[in-house]
Amino acid sequence: MALRSLRAKGLLLALAFVALMAFVVWPKATPRKYPDRIPVRYWHMWTAEWADVIQRICDAFNESQSTYEVIPLIIPGSVGDTKPLLGVAGGDPPDVMTHWASVIPSWAAADWLVPLDAFMSKEELADFERETYPVARQIGMYRGRLFAIGVGLNAFGLYYLPDQLAEVGVTPKTFPRTLEELADLGTKLNQWDKRGNLTRLGFQPSWFSSLCESYGGGLYDWSTGRLTLNTPENLRALEFITAERKKVGFETVNRFNAGLDTGSFAGGWPFIGGALSITYDGQWRVEQIGKYAPTLNYRTIPLPPPKGGVPLAGTTNGNFMIIPRGAKQPQGAWEFIKFWSGLSDPARAAKFYTWGGWLPINDRIAQSPDYRAYLRRYPQFQTFVDVLRSPHYTTLPPVAYQQFLSDRATRAEDLSVRGTLAPREALRRFEQEVAHEIRRRKELGYVE
Amino acid sequence: MSNSLTGPTLAQKATVWAALAILAVPAALPLVWMVSTSLKADTQIYNAVGSGAGAVSLRSLIPDPVRWDNYPAALQTVPLVDYLRNTILLCVVSILGAVGSSAIVAYGFARTEFRGRHALFLLMISTMALPGQVTMIPRFAMFKEFGWYGTYLPLLVPVFFASPFLVFLLTQFFKTLPNEMSEAAVVDGATDWAIFTRIVLPLSKPALATCSLFTFLGAWNDFFGPLLYINDPAKYTLAYGLQQFLSAYGGKWAQLMAASTLFTLPIVVLFFLAQKTFIQGIATTGGKG
Amino acid sequence: MKRRRVGWLFVAPWLVGFVVFTLYPFLTSVYLSFTRYDVVSPAKWVGLANYRALFTDDDLFGKSLLVTFKYACIAVPVGIVAGVALALLLNVDIKGQSVFRTLFFLPSIVPGVATATVFVWILNPEIGLVNGLLKNAGVIGPNWLGDSFWAFYSLIFMGLWGVGGSMVIYLAGLKDVPVQLYEAALLDGAGPWERTRRVTLPLLTPVIFFNLVMGVIGAFQYFDGAFIMTRGGPEDSTLFYALYMFYRAWRYMDMGYASAMAWILFALVVGLTGLVFATQRRWVHYGA
Repeated sequence: MALRSLRAKGLLLALAFVALMAFVVWPKATPRKYPDRIPVRYWHMWTAEWADVIQRICDAFNESQSTYEVIPLIIPGSVGDTKPLLGVAGGDPPDVMTHWASVIPSWAAADWLVPLDAFMSKEELADFERETYPVARQIGMYRGRLFAIGVGLNAFGLYYLPDQLAEVGVTPKTFPRTLEELADLGTKLNQWDKRGNLTRLGFQPSWFSSLCESYGGGLYDWSTGRLTLNTPENLRALEFITAERKKVGFETVNRFNAGLDTGSFAGGWPFIGGALSITYDGQWRVEQIGKYAPTLNYRTIPLPPPKGGVPLAGTTNGNFMIIPRGAKQPQGAWEFIKFWSGLSDPARAAKFYTWGGWLPINDRIAQSPDYRAYLRRYPQFQTFVDVLRSPHYTTLPPVAYQQFLSDRATRAEDLSVRGTLAPREALRRFEQEVAHEIRRRKELGYVE
Repeated sequence: MSNSLTGPTLAQKATVWAALAILAVPAALPLVWMVSTSLKADTQIYNAVGSGAGAVSLRSLIPDPVRWDNYPAALQTVPLVDYLRNTILLCVVSILGAVGSSAIVAYGFARTEFRGRHALFLLMISTMALPGQVTMIPRFAMFKEFGWYGTYLPLLVPVFFASPFLVFLLTQFFKTLPNEMSEAAVVDGATDWAIFTRIVLPLSKPALATCSLFTFLGAWNDFFGPLLYINDPAKYTLAYGLQQFLSAYGGKWAQLMAASTLFTLPIVVLFFLAQKTFIQGIATTGGKG
Repeated sequence: MKRRRVGWLFVAPWLVGFVVFTLYPFLTSVYLSFTRYDVVSPAKWVGLANYRALFTDDDLFGKSLLVTFKYACIAVPVGIVAGVALALLLNVDIKGQSVFRTLFFLPSIVPGVATATVFVWILNPEIGLVNGLLKNAGVIGPNWLGDSFWAFYSLIFMGLWGVGGSMVIYLAGLKDVPVQLYEAALLDGAGPWERTRRVTLPLLTPVIFFNLVMGVIGAFQYFDGAFIMTRGGPEDSTLFYALYMFYRAWRYMDMGYASAMAWILFALVVGLTGLVFATQRRWVHYGA
């Protein structure tokens, strides 16, 4: 017993020693590079090589002037909502943040974003409204005020492999002009092995809410400010997706897509390996191909509209700069946003866009020498600039419950393409769920 | 050890061994996959994609070629030494605080009588039933009010006030201890504190070790806590570092797996070394009394 | 008389912590459940509106409750049986015991992020290891995480994979079994199975009780796998209550509503736990 308690005491002493050591080596705060300047705390969610790009942009800003020091902090996406919201609730938010487009309406509605137009003179605001691409402006606005400026917008288009298309006699010149033709071409390009497993997918449509726009519908009427969820155009879009899925088999496509999902980032993109002949994807793939398969023969082209539909239409999203309420240095934050987005000096900022492989938000950036050089290096990138500039390119309804609406839209598509519900029924249920949500919010007294 | 005097026959042992060996396959497979992926080149990870079904077999678990440099590459991504130090700091303080205070409280619930003991115990258990998601804001606001935001205090101070989970676990253990010894000690005039430190604690080593293990694991894996309260990269932990590999655009699976393997390895070694000590029987010591 | 006060002294650390760190957040969240609170603007009193809306306007509330209930009904008993069985096997003195113990404990210490990623890969219907092995056995495996039926059970399997955590507790509990009792049973001529049933299991009941209570509390708050891997899909088949609540709180920015959800869950779980406690006397054996 005595020996044992001696040992216990020894253990305790050892632990105490370790604890003491820990206090000795208690972490010191990261030293400031410019201790005399006003700190501007900036949070973002980029990691790995993207984080390096962000660091370079912050460094460039810090070197460009002598008043502020921007201090970036990476917030993992899994706490992307929680941490900033707690910051605001607890009275200590960052000064500036980059966040996903989808949070803007709800955060603006909750009055926790600082309107950015307040920092602009009348002329600056007029310039901004005239020059900024419509979709970039739309995403950043809520109820007539500007709350966010896009620095990393996405645009989507078709990627295809001309060599595979040649197998069925299609060249880039004879590429389908309508969505229906495209679907037929896709069917021809499907390949199966002897045991009946799908080995190559020609083309499969998806992205319900985006496709609604191509059909001349859409979930929102921007002129009247009303939701238009269950319309004939939207139904046609969902029916088209479902019908195409049915052709190959609901289960088959689900499984094939699941196989693709895991490898869908970086070098594992199955398009590179030839498992997809034609696919609809974002602009970032151009740079990925450049990095992982520089010799790949591929082309990009905007999604052709359905017969009688709208060309260059769809919905998109992206990364936007915001200033939370309670930010201690809103002016410094604004200077940083202007610097990065190129509102103050497009020619200088164009460089940042090319570092990250981001799409421009206006023609002044797109036409700058640096950006033109980038487009020469990645000619296939031009497609996405064209799509982004389109007046028919838009975003999800700018309502406070947008995230709910978008989640339920995804679920409606899910129900339909799995064959659980008929498209009409899925759409009806979607409309009903949103109606219930609106009623709920009204009963609780939310403005919207 | 304890069972050796009443131990099963050789045939029974062989059956148990076989059963465990069979069960070990599904238990180990995901881990084997993790380690094997950590040594693969990206091209090998992806080549199964689109190659049609049937390409996957156990042979695909063997990395070819073996890419050791995934490990240094993963290590370069995060300031490992800083994160490791911070993590150890949090782990050590958590173990000392949580296990110590929980043992004291558990003794109160298991071995003393007082009015309202049952109600209080149920109250404590029920505090675990409210999801933390809705108490996060008031809790955060409170710590902010205390001036603890940006420091380790919100993570370290509460552990000294006992964790309901550990108290519950220890209470269950303390209750199973034979009463005779403490009763004899009471007759001898020993105080409760003396009974607690001289009789109950020494007899509860397996339980205390289990508690330490859980506390250690909790602190080791916690990335949420540090993230919410800390705003300086110099003060983050390994679990936060691991999160950095999971980016929407990253897709560096091999490096993520290498980092995960490195992150898990210390605990494996620790458990392997410690399990002998802490699972070794109180049955024996108790028996010899 | 003196001993009574001593009891209070012993539980004081928790009591103080409870009052200082837990009580205030608890009471605040009760209050918030009667308000409209978007986290940023001050909370506005709305009476019972949140509770009323939950039962009348919310299509997902019942759905998520059902998913969670189903999960608790399956995962808790299966987890206990598996944990106890594994611990009993690992308690037999065989060659390589410590290696086996470490091996079975390992899954529960792999960080959640890594576990999720690993499972997304090995459960992949086309290129995953599990279906690859099934294929060799002539079976076409399901589209695990992508199937409305199997996604739910995939999460249960994953939970079972981490059963090593409770196994450790049982192992520690097994070490509490006094040798004398075995000797007595041996004198009665009981075989190993008899001894397990008559001596070991009854003495393990306090620990089983612990794991049962923690299992129920944990199952009703199940979140991680659904949050990281399935995001509630496909077709809401893994829309667990805690996940839906998280979305309500932080994604749809309705903390008042989420607080109401939390308190409904709280009442439910406390009720269930109370029931479990009420049965305690019948089957849980504490030391003499």
